[in-house]
Amino acid sequence: MQTVKLAAIPAAFSSSCFMFRPVTKTLGLISRRNHSQKPPFRLLARAFSAPALQTIDTTDNKGGVAVKPQWKAAIDFKWIRDNKEAVSANIRNRNSNANLELVLELYEKMLNVQKEVDRLREERNAVANKMKGKLEPSERQKLIEEGKNLKEGLVTLEEDLVKLTDELQQEAQCIPNMTHPDVPVGGEDCSIIRKTVGNPSVFNFPVKDHFQLGKALDIFDFDAAAEVSGSKFYYLKNEAVMLEMGLINWTLSEVIKRGFTPLTTPEIVRSSVVEKCGFQPRGANTQVYSIEGADQCLIGTAEIPVGGIHMDSILSESLLPLKYAAFSHCFRTEAGAAGTATRGLYRVHQFSKLEMFVFCQPEESDSYHEELIRIEEDLYSSLGLHFKLLLFLAEL
Amino acid sequence: MQTVKLAAIPAAFSSSCFMFRPVTKTLGLISRRNHSQKPPFRLLARAFSAPALQTIDTTDNKGGVVVKPQWKAAIDFKWIRDNKEAVSANIRNRNSNANLELVLELYEKMLNVQKEVDRLREERNAVANKMKGKLEPSERQKLIEEGKNLKEGLVTLEEDLVKLTDELQQEAQCIPNMTHPDVPVGGEDCSIIRKTVGNPSVFNFPVKDHFQLGKALDIFDFDAAAEVLLLFIVSGSKFYYLKNEAVMLEMGLINWTLSEVIKRGFTPLTTPEIVRSSVVEKCGFQPRGANTQVYSIEGADQCLIGTAEIPVGGIHMDSILSESLLPLKYAAFSHCFRTEAGAAGTATRGLYRVHQFSKLEMFVFCQPEESDSYHEELIRIEEDLYSSLGLHFKTVDMATEDLGAPAYRKFDVEAWMPGLGRYGEISSASNCTDYQSRRLGIRYRPSQLSSTNAKKGKGPTRFVHTLNATACAIPRMIICLLENYQQEDGSVIIPEPLRPFMGGLERISPKCS
Repeated sequence: MQTVKLAAIPAAFSSSCFMFRPVTKTLGLISRRNHSQKPPFRLLARAFSAPALQTIDTTDNKGGVAVKPQWKAAIDFKWIRDNKEAVSANIRNRNSNANLELVLELYEKMLNVQKEVDRLREERNAVANKMKGKLEPSERQKLIEEGKNLKEGLVTLEEDLVKLTDELQQEAQCIPNMTHPDVPVGGEDCSIIRKTVGNPSVFNFPVKDHFQLGKALDIFDFDAAAEVSGSKFYYLKNEAVMLEMGLINWTLSEVIKRGFTPLTTPEIVRSSVVEKCGFQPRGANTQVYSIEGADQCLIGTAEIPVGGIHMDSILSESLLPLKYAAFSHCFRTEAGAAGTATRGLYRVHQFSKLEMFVFCQPEESDSYHEELIRIEEDLYSSLGLHFKLLLFLAEL
Repeated sequence: MQTVKLAAIPAAFSSSCFMFRPVTKTLGLISRRNHSQKPPFRLLARAFSAPALQTIDTTDNKGGVVVKPQWKAAIDFKWIRDNKEAVSANIRNRNSNANLELVLELYEKMLNVQKEVDRLREERNAVANKMKGKLEPSERQKLIEEGKNLKEGLVTLEEDLVKLTDELQQEAQCIPNMTHPDVPVGGEDCSIIRKTVGNPSVFNFPVKDHFQLGKALDIFDFDAAAEVLLLFIVSGSKFYYLKNEAVMLEMGLINWTLSEVIKRGFTPLTTPEIVRSSVVEKCGFQPRGANTQVYSIEGADQCLIGTAEIPVGGIHMDSILSESLLPLKYAAFSHCFRTEAGAAGTATRGLYRVHQFSKLEMFVFCQPEESDSYHEELIRIEEDLYSSLGLHFKTVDMATEDLGAPAYRKFDVEAWMPGLGRYGEISSASNCTDYQSRRLGIRYRPSQLSSTNAKKGKGPTRFVHTLNATACAIPRMIICLLENYQQEDGSVIIPEPLRPFMGGLERISPKCS
């Protein structure tokens, strides 16, 4: 298995689909953005834009490189074809570099090849059946010839079919999810404020930032961590440790009350699981740490191992909804975030997080989305925080 | 920077010094073992036995390969030379492959070259001084020649000196820590039981192991973890999800243990779990050895920690602490990651040996004269904690062959696990004296008490002693609690001290499914 080093690749090539890039303005915790600048080198970009690849081709290749995907997404191509205007508009709105035309083209081709393959197989079966009966030697010889030709033709076509299927996967995996009709089109600047809770606190003395406060209270150590591990690492000390324990304990009990099953998860997972969740461990400026000598990564969020918990399963309807509250440490490279550096805890490589995750029936996901955001609002209000709730098209 | 892949290397070569290998019988949580079988390929082994290397040479090389160490340990060569019988006996007792003769030889050579270098420098200075005065042109010319020769000679000698120093480091770093006189000499069978607390619980129904219990209680998931991760087919996945009450159990154990050790004067800490490889090495582990326990990060010179001992030891790296600060007592909570490479044969299902787990670790920095007594304090704290939870256990003074290179003395606590039908290690308390501090560069300045010395606090510095002890290793504790407190109906009673930290939960009951 080739391992791609955590090397810096120029921004023009960093146009991977489901890349896990830090948000700049709202400094979001997790954001998957569509490539936000249309690159000059679109074709080259495509080679980087396909996830689920065993190797990433870095040479200039006009048609894009089709390599065997390690796994296949069960994409509904027929639906895409039947709704291509909506899909195309969505791709545009999200500034994605998915190539819908190519997908549809490949899909048609694939269907045709499939039809041809099916036809040839039928003929070959017919020939095989004919050969069971009593035949003149010359007739038999003709059928044998015919059978041989059909077989050769089939082998070629079947190879083509595999190649087409792989290429179709590669292109189609780039297509972003559809978007809820209420989401405003455009970037963060077009965001809608859904709700505001509380007001900024008023201080009658000069306000300090958390870094100063923490230092004076002797509850952090960033300097020692820089020596031991590097920048953006830290030790919590004394009451900060109690604060972390208290926050986790309290939040856990609050979400358990609301019917969530508590969970702790592995923090090392297979790279393919990371990809299946929509992240790109081997993209340029990836947020994902990889383990040396293994096809494994550190998780950036418990979403990944929790999503993976029911991988390749058929759940009975009575089990749904499944609501988990997963506690884990999270690891992020924060590559590409150097310019937006803030001191302190704002952007760090390792942190603890309690994550809610729901598996539900399709008709219910909108309402569970509302439930989740309500739970979050309740939690933060209880802690007396002032915050606003934003709705915007999160660019991948 | 070359990266050495996590490849399997035959056991014969696995003779690295400070390797972090799993214990077989006592199923140790952490053990740094000296190489326990004298390998047939001793010379090859030496190439693997040197830590702090930028690259590891894998060719058959009689004298060993000298490569530039990334960092230097402040080893007391003079002391080693003056105590060479004791050092030699210690190396033998610990079954270490350190080469003392070579170290002493290199040391002598180095001293001689150093003397020669000093002498040449003096001569060169003398020549330089002479040239300041008024001289005949022919005399000046002679001096210039002389100066040039001296300079060339010096350059060569200085290069030799650097090479010798590097080689000396490489060899000397292999020498394990000295050993406390009371430690029994020999292998595992020679370890001494210091104390036994409690008795094995008596059950009047068939006893289940934690794996069965956990499954019935729906508090683990190993299968999903095996899907989400690559699995070792024979031994199970070694990764797991904790669910439901097991999560409460983990939180309860951490919260309770933390409050107990805070009461005893320990400063709570959470630590980075990704650290520089050099820090791992300085603590006495070998990230790039064969069968290493250490996960490395791709494309970086960083590793995942196997224990909070590493980032805590590093907290005071390259520092001079004032005496008044000592002792520094930390209780550090972290997740720990271990490859458990080489542990396939000793596989047990369930939580016994896993790749990732939570642990609360005690760590002490103290004055040298006090480390023995802090070692006693740490083991006493551990014994108190485990007694409070009603566990039956024995405290063992580990024999020399079971001590990792940094440990001067090590006490293991082995608790009775009725479901597994044996004792299993739940904690380890080591006194590393100055082994780690000489590598991490942690010193303190003794305060001057002499009234005649006006320069208070300016005396020579000394290396601190470091100690580490497991306060709570979550998976082993979960095993103990589930197996010891199981009831006939498959439920598990929660010991009283933990209940307030688990929302008052008294019992984990089987789920009706």
